[in-house]
Formats: sequence, structure tokens, C-alpha cells
Amino acid sequence: MIGYVVRRLLLMVPILLGLSILVFLFVRALPGGPAIALLGERATEESVEQIEEQLGLDQPVHVQYGRYLGNLLSGDLGTSVSTRQPVTSELARRFPATFELTIAALIFAIGLGIPLGYIAAKRYQGVLDNVSLVMSLIGVSIPVFFLALLLKYIFGVQLGWLPTIGRLGITVSLEHPTNFYVLDSVLTANWEALTDSLKHLVLPAIALGTIPLAIVARITRAATLDVLSEDYVRTARAKGLDPLVVDRRHVLRNAMLPVVTVVGLQTGLLLTGAVLTETVFAWPGLGTLILNAIRFRDYAVLQGGVLVFAVIFVLVNLIVDISYAFLNPRIRYR
Amino acid sequence: MSLAESEAAELHLERPSGLWRDALDRFRRNPGALVGVFLILVFIVAAVFAPAIAPYEPHKQVGPLATNPEGPTTGHLLGLDEQGRDLFSRILFGARLSLLVGFVSVLVGLALGLVLGALSGYLGGWIDFAIMRVVDLMLSIPALLLAIGLVTVLGRGLFQIMLAIGIVQVPIFARLLRGTILGQKEADYVLASRSVGVPKLRILLVHILPNSIAPVIVQATLAMATAIIEVAALSFVGLGPNDPGLPEWGRILAENANRLQQSAHLVIFPGIAIVLSALGINLIGDGLREAIDPKLRS
Repeated sequence: MIGYVVRRLLLMVPILLGLSILVFLFVRALPGGPAIALLGERATEESVEQIEEQLGLDQPVHVQYGRYLGNLLSGDLGTSVSTRQPVTSELARRFPATFELTIAALIFAIGLGIPLGYIAAKRYQGVLDNVSLVMSLIGVSIPVFFLALLLKYIFGVQLGWLPTIGRLGITVSLEHPTNFYVLDSVLTANWEALTDSLKHLVLPAIALGTIPLAIVARITRAATLDVLSEDYVRTARAKGLDPLVVDRRHVLRNAMLPVVTVVGLQTGLLLTGAVLTETVFAWPGLGTLILNAIRFRDYAVLQGGVLVFAVIFVLVNLIVDISYAFLNPRIRYR
Repeated sequence: MSLAESEAAELHLERPSGLWRDALDRFRRNPGALVGVFLILVFIVAAVFAPAIAPYEPHKQVGPLATNPEGPTTGHLLGLDEQGRDLFSRILFGARLSLLVGFVSVLVGLALGLVLGALSGYLGGWIDFAIMRVVDLMLSIPALLLAIGLVTVLGRGLFQIMLAIGIVQVPIFARLLRGTILGQKEADYVLASRSVGVPKLRILLVHILPNSIAPVIVQATLAMATAIIEVAALSFVGLGPNDPGLPEWGRILAENANRLQQSAHLVIFPGIAIVLSALGINLIGDGLREAIDPKLRS
């Protein structure tokens, strides 16, 4: 097991290096060149020269990359054109918002998707099975921003049940030791802020979680159906084991293996979806940061944001692979 | 038709079974797949005959300018937009764009992915290693972000956008084809061809590819739905095709997102168009998967 983890960790090094090369090339491929890209189109000649010298654009490419990588490793991702703040601190400030939203969406998707898929498989071709099949098909066909807009309109605007903008009402005050608002409210025992921040989470989390929910439900259903027809399940039943025990120990546990993989693959979808969901609900996370960066051509922020998203994605896949190996010994010994 | 020919045709009809014939039979018996075919036929008809079906020109102002235009009326089936253009006509012409984007970008992704996947799987060695590391790298960036990056670099022309969405799909096709080819490479019929001296390239093109293509076709179908949603998403984040007059569904939806309360039709109808087209393609893709999957063949 430890050997496997070490091997997977080592495999990350070339991926991360490759990512840094890709992002490095990205800025150099931008229309107008990196200096204009980083300073904006109305940059003066002086500032262009200054930044070119600063970036070492007169140096050979490999020297430039070396310098870039050095900056990257010391946590320097440049300065935002629009806020004049270091990109790293901007990213760090907004990361908890996106993380909190993603976790909430994931809880929604897994918490509902697994039971739904499981029950659908147990009542194979029953009403619930067919309903969940149709729902999951619509789920994979609906663009996340459309769903988000619909939810916002119905539950926020028309019914007025839930807030639709931001992470916290303006009348609620909260200290932010961690910037994870739910965690902050618990830490400071601020129960008003806790309910308010949870309420703010509901709609964005449902919007972001629905597509993964559809996929998780479908995979759980398919995996459960596969396992239900296995010999060991029949054997367990034949020897008179309590049906509930068979379901729990034999069926559910084995059916979870493909589900874990799929949940891991969903992270990419969740991160992408977060970019779109955050815009609709004015959620001050990495997604809105990246979109504003596109809008204002703030390439330093765009570059940093894409890098952070990709690194999170790679890390999550690593965690999924490791937990998969933990759950399924067959992988470990390969 | 001569007697021999008609007999041959009959024989052909009666030919007992085969992968594709079985698949077609199964596909035709699948109600979901048929619904999908119906939906997509509707969209294809709408796209091809848009100039004939649409009651108005998509770019022409036919009603009053309004901040919050009215919804459906008898004269305007789906209502008007803020510039007094007929929404139904715009959505019809939008079908052309979405289907075009779906088709061309998948073609790009498929072509590049097939070449890379085939080379990787069949040649192996350092070529396989190099291609697969590039694929890993591309897969480590969430799809929409990769598309955003590519569009920022390539520009916002319609072709560049299709290219970007196509490139994002390359790694999926490459990996898929590589996997199936690796499975086929050791098959008996390949060993047999090798032993009688058939050239490598010929084995790949004539024997291995046709036997590895089924899952690729399924994936290509599903990718078309993703492409339609992705171009809408790019429009939504302000990176859609740069011609402001284009009736792209995602753009219509995005431009009117803040009118949802007063003029919901401008958001709902283009949204429904996106969902139904993606749903139709997904249904077909699922139907194909079930029809072709050898595991389900009895």
C-alpha cells in the first residue's frame, strides 16, 4: 500500500511540471504577447519595457521558464491588473468559498444519489427505477448555468424561500478566522451566522450537485445490478443469511467500488460547474474570480486560477486513486 | 434488376446476424433511443429548413424595442427579444449553429484523437509513453477551463471555438481508442495476419480499427451533446462566437439572464432548446451503447 502511494505521488511530479509548462506557454501565446497581456492594452511603453525586463523576456526561453518556475515555487503568481493585489493572496482568500460550495454539492450528490440508485436497482424496472432513469438523463443534458438560473428564479425570486446572492446576508456579522463560513460560525459559536450561511449554500449546492447526482445515481444503479447477479450474493441468500445483512455486507460494499471512481471523476465537473454556478449566485469564489479575469483581461489572475483548479483536480484524483486502492485490494497488488 | 441481383438482395436481407445488424435491431427496439432520434430529427429539420420555417428573419427587428419584452403572443410563438426580434426564428437559426458546432468539434476531436490513440496503442514504446503523458496533462485541466484557455489564445471566431472544443475532446478519444486497440492487438486474428506477413499499417487500418471503433462511435455521439453544452457555456462566460448577431442559444440565454423575472421566455426557451438537443443526442448515445455493447449481446 505504501509503495503504491509513493508511486502515485512520484507520478504527480511530471504532471505538475507539465502543467507549469502549459500555463507558461499559455501566457506567451496570448494575443499581443505577455507584457501587453499582463498589463492590459492601454499600457504605456515604459511599463511594457519595465515588465519585459522584469519578466526577463529578452532572455532565452528556458531561462524564462526557469525564472517562472522559481517564482511559482516560492508562491509568486504575479500581480492582478485590476486589484493590484498579489494573485496568490487573492486566490487564497477565495479558495475556501469554492471549496465549501463544492463540498456541499458533493454531499448533496452522494447523499441522495447513492440511495436513489440503490433503491432503483432493488426495484429494477419499477416506477421509481424508470423515474430515476429519466431524471438522470435530463440531469446529464441540462447545462449547469441554466439549472442554476431556474433554481434561483423559482426558489429565490418567485417563492422567496432562500437567498440567492453571496455567502452571507449583509445584516449578519461574522468573524472569519478560516474563511470557511460554516466552519467560522461554528468556531465562533455564532448560530445566527450558521443558519444564514447554510441557507445561502442550499441553492448553489443543489444547482452544482444535480448533474453529479444524476451520474452517481446511474452508476450506483448499474453497479448494484451487476453485483446483485453475482454468485456470492446468491450463495449468501441461499445459506439463509438475513437479507439486510446480504444487502449491506455483500451488495452495497461491492457496488461502491465503481461509485468511488465516478465520484472522483466528478470533481472535474464540479470545479467546472463551480465557475458557472458561482456567477449565477454571485458567490465570491475562484470561479467568479476567473470569470472576472476573463472579462477584464486580467491574465495573471486567469493563469493562476487555471493552475490552482488544475492542481486541485490532480490532487483529488490522487486521493481517489489511493482510496480506491484502499477499498479494493486487487489494485494494490498489480 | 436481374434475377441474380434480386436473389442476392434477398439473401442479403436474410443474412442471419452480425454485430451491426444485431445492433440495429436492438437499437430499433429501444424506446429511449427512438425518442432521441425523433428529437434530433426535429432539430435537424429545424436547422436545414430554418429559412423556410422561420416566420421572420433572425436578425430583423419586427417588434418594438423594449427593456423587458413581452412573452409569447399569437404573432410571435415564443415572444420577442429586447431588440424586437422574433425569438422563435432566432432559436430555429440557432439550431444550425449548435448542430454545426456539435458536429465539427466532435469531428476535430475524433480525427486528432483517433490518430493519437491509434499510434499510441499500436506502436507502443516511447511514442505511446509521450502521447499518453500529453493526454494525462490535458485531462488534468477541467474541460471548460481548457476550452476557456484555448479560446483566449486562439480567438473568438466560430471556427476557433469549434477547434477549441474539439481539442478538449482529443484526450478522451485517444485514451479510449488506445485501450480498445491494446485489447485487440493480442487477438488471434491479428496474430494470424502478422504471421502471414501483412504489413503493420494494413493490420491496423483493415483489421484492428474496425474492431475497435464501436465504443468510439458511442463516445462521439455523447461528445456531441457535451460540445453543444460547452459552446453555450462559453457564451455564458462571455467567450462565445464574437459576431454579436449570431443567435447562439447560450448567448441568448446569457444576455437575458438578468431579465428572468420580467421576460422569462428569453431564458427559458433557449435553455429548453439546449436541454432537448443534448437530451436527444444522449438518448441516441445510450441506445447505441446498449445496442453495440458485446456484454449485453445474448
